[in-house]
Amino acid sequence: MLPLANILARPLRTAVSVLAVGVGVALFLVLVGLTGMLDEIARRTTQVEAHLMVWPASDQVVVSGGLPAEKVEKDLEGVAGVEHAIPVLRWPFKMAGRVQNVYGIRPEDWRYFASEDQILEGRALADGPEMVIDARLAAAGGYRVGQTVERWGHAFRIVGIAKEGVAGRVFMPIDTVGEALQQTSRRASFFYVRVVDPSHVAAVREAIRERGLNVFTLEEFYDVLASSFIDMDLVIGSVVFVAGFVCFLVILLTVYTMVIERTHEIGILKGIGASRAQVFGLVLSEAGLIAGAGIVTGFLLTWGGRALILHLQPLWTVEIPPLRYLLAALLAAGGTLLGAAQPAARAARQDPVESLRYE
Amino acid sequence: MTPIIETQSLVKVYRADGVETPALRGVDLAVAPGEFVSIMGPSGCGKSTLLYLLGLLATPTEGTVRIDGQDAGTLGDGGRTRLRRRHIGYVFQRFNLLPTLSAEENVGLPMRLRGERPGSAPREMLRAVGLEEKRRRRPNQLSVGEQQRVAIARALATRPTVLLADEPTGNLDSEASDRVMDLVGRLHRGTGQAIVLITHNRQVADRADRLIRMHDGRLVDA
Ligand SMILES: Nc1ncnc2c1ncn2[C@@H]1O[C@H](COP(=O)(O)OP(=O)(O)O)[C@@H](O)[C@H]1O
Ligand SMILES: [Mg+2]
Repeated sequence: MLPLANILARPLRTAVSVLAVGVGVALFLVLVGLTGMLDEIARRTTQVEAHLMVWPASDQVVVSGGLPAEKVEKDLEGVAGVEHAIPVLRWPFKMAGRVQNVYGIRPEDWRYFASEDQILEGRALADGPEMVIDARLAAAGGYRVGQTVERWGHAFRIVGIAKEGVAGRVFMPIDTVGEALQQTSRRASFFYVRVVDPSHVAAVREAIRERGLNVFTLEEFYDVLASSFIDMDLVIGSVVFVAGFVCFLVILLTVYTMVIERTHEIGILKGIGASRAQVFGLVLSEAGLIAGAGIVTGFLLTWGGRALILHLQPLWTVEIPPLRYLLAALLAAGGTLLGAAQPAARAARQDPVESLRYE
Repeated sequence: MTPIIETQSLVKVYRADGVETPALRGVDLAVAPGEFVSIMGPSGCGKSTLLYLLGLLATPTEGTVRIDGQDAGTLGDGGRTRLRRRHIGYVFQRFNLLPTLSAEENVGLPMRLRGERPGSAPREMLRAVGLEEKRRRRPNQLSVGEQQRVAIARALATRPTVLLADEPTGNLDSEASDRVMDLVGRLHRGTGQAIVLITHNRQVADRADRLIRMHDGRLVDA
């Protein structure tokens, strides 16, 4: 009752403090949500019915956009334990105003990329100048089955729309991509490799490595992709730190001012029987109310910010795991307690006689 | 009969910025249960200081304060808070009330601090001081005299054994002052609480059972 009455007595100051906490919380959550975008890419890239990914070695000279697909495929399938090598020619391609990566694949390999029930509309990839896109891209660009998209001096027909989560947002037959790029023989940016016995993946991987290729299990590749975001984590970490620190300072200042201007009231409280612990608790609960309102505001700002980002960038992913909300709330609450503790202790210690002097 | 409040050789020296101000120079005072004592004396003679010590809001430099036979000097902060809650109601000269709470909430606050639910008690106390109608008002919507009556209602809401009042009518005109003092007298007769009242007003002081004069940190006559 008293804490609430007290913070409501200073609406502007309370609002500013609540907003400061809220912005801190939202900044943290939206940034965390944006790292989800990188995670989403890593996840979908490894969402293929295969065990290994094979890339050109870093010192290999890659001409005209990739490895000689047929030769490397034969090499890979010659390795003991390999069931099947799946070439992918990945190439940038502008759609819905953004650069997408086209996955050029052999139509017969389609089944490794998507199951029957992942086709929401239309059909799977076959031959010719056609493409299958994912539902996110379809929604973002307003694309429909049957529509044609002109690029590279060719017209490509959208024949199917796949459920979100498949490896690429755009799939085309590998030879269609190669022809459009005027390649004379089939090329591949990388391969997915299926092994006969998944328990022998490590041995197969070793054998492929000995042939001078860069090879990862899908799990490893996911980790490599994720670890390339470490710099991003650092940036986010710094922003979180700054946001948290600003929150802490705002709360410290607010609560400190609150205590100073209520010196006399704190004297009265002690005069009518408040213990030190009660005065401490009172100040802390005021800070707690501000933090609580700030956290709720932060969640609302996050929700609004996410909606805004997705409106401006429909293909971005802002994914915030529920536990991060808890973490943000705990961080804000922790910062608030830290900021409020010192002024609250000061109020609790305050000499009532000093505070009650009128002169 | 054991005094409800008793002091022995009470000395209080304020130390601020290296300057020592002796405010009390050895005060022996005993107040019987239910007794109404008023204290008069020139400004700066130590009246408020004495009341703070009686109310356990400050600790003496030397000497002892006993409340209901218990030596407050032997207690820690928690023990003194409990003793104060049980026995003391305090009314200050002015600005007694918390500005963000209504009159009724102000009166209920001491009970809340003791962990009790105020229930209808604050409203009844406000009726006793003639302010039931204004119980929802904030202090700044009340006159100074009304604020003092709310403060008295609050001080008495927990039925303390002693009411300490530091110039409660010091900022009131004579009509409001009479009203407050009539109230104090009536409540005193009704409840049998002891009262220690500081005042500059001879007529106010004369309502007490006993009048004590203070001068330069000492009680002068009885
Ligand atoms: N907190 C304090 N610090 C220093 N000196 C004080 C303090 N409070 C009171 N004094 C001094 O102690 C003396 C007694 O003050 P006080 O008890 O307020 O007198 P009264 O209430 O009779 O006017 C005065 O000289 C006053 O200036
Ligand atoms: Mg005084």
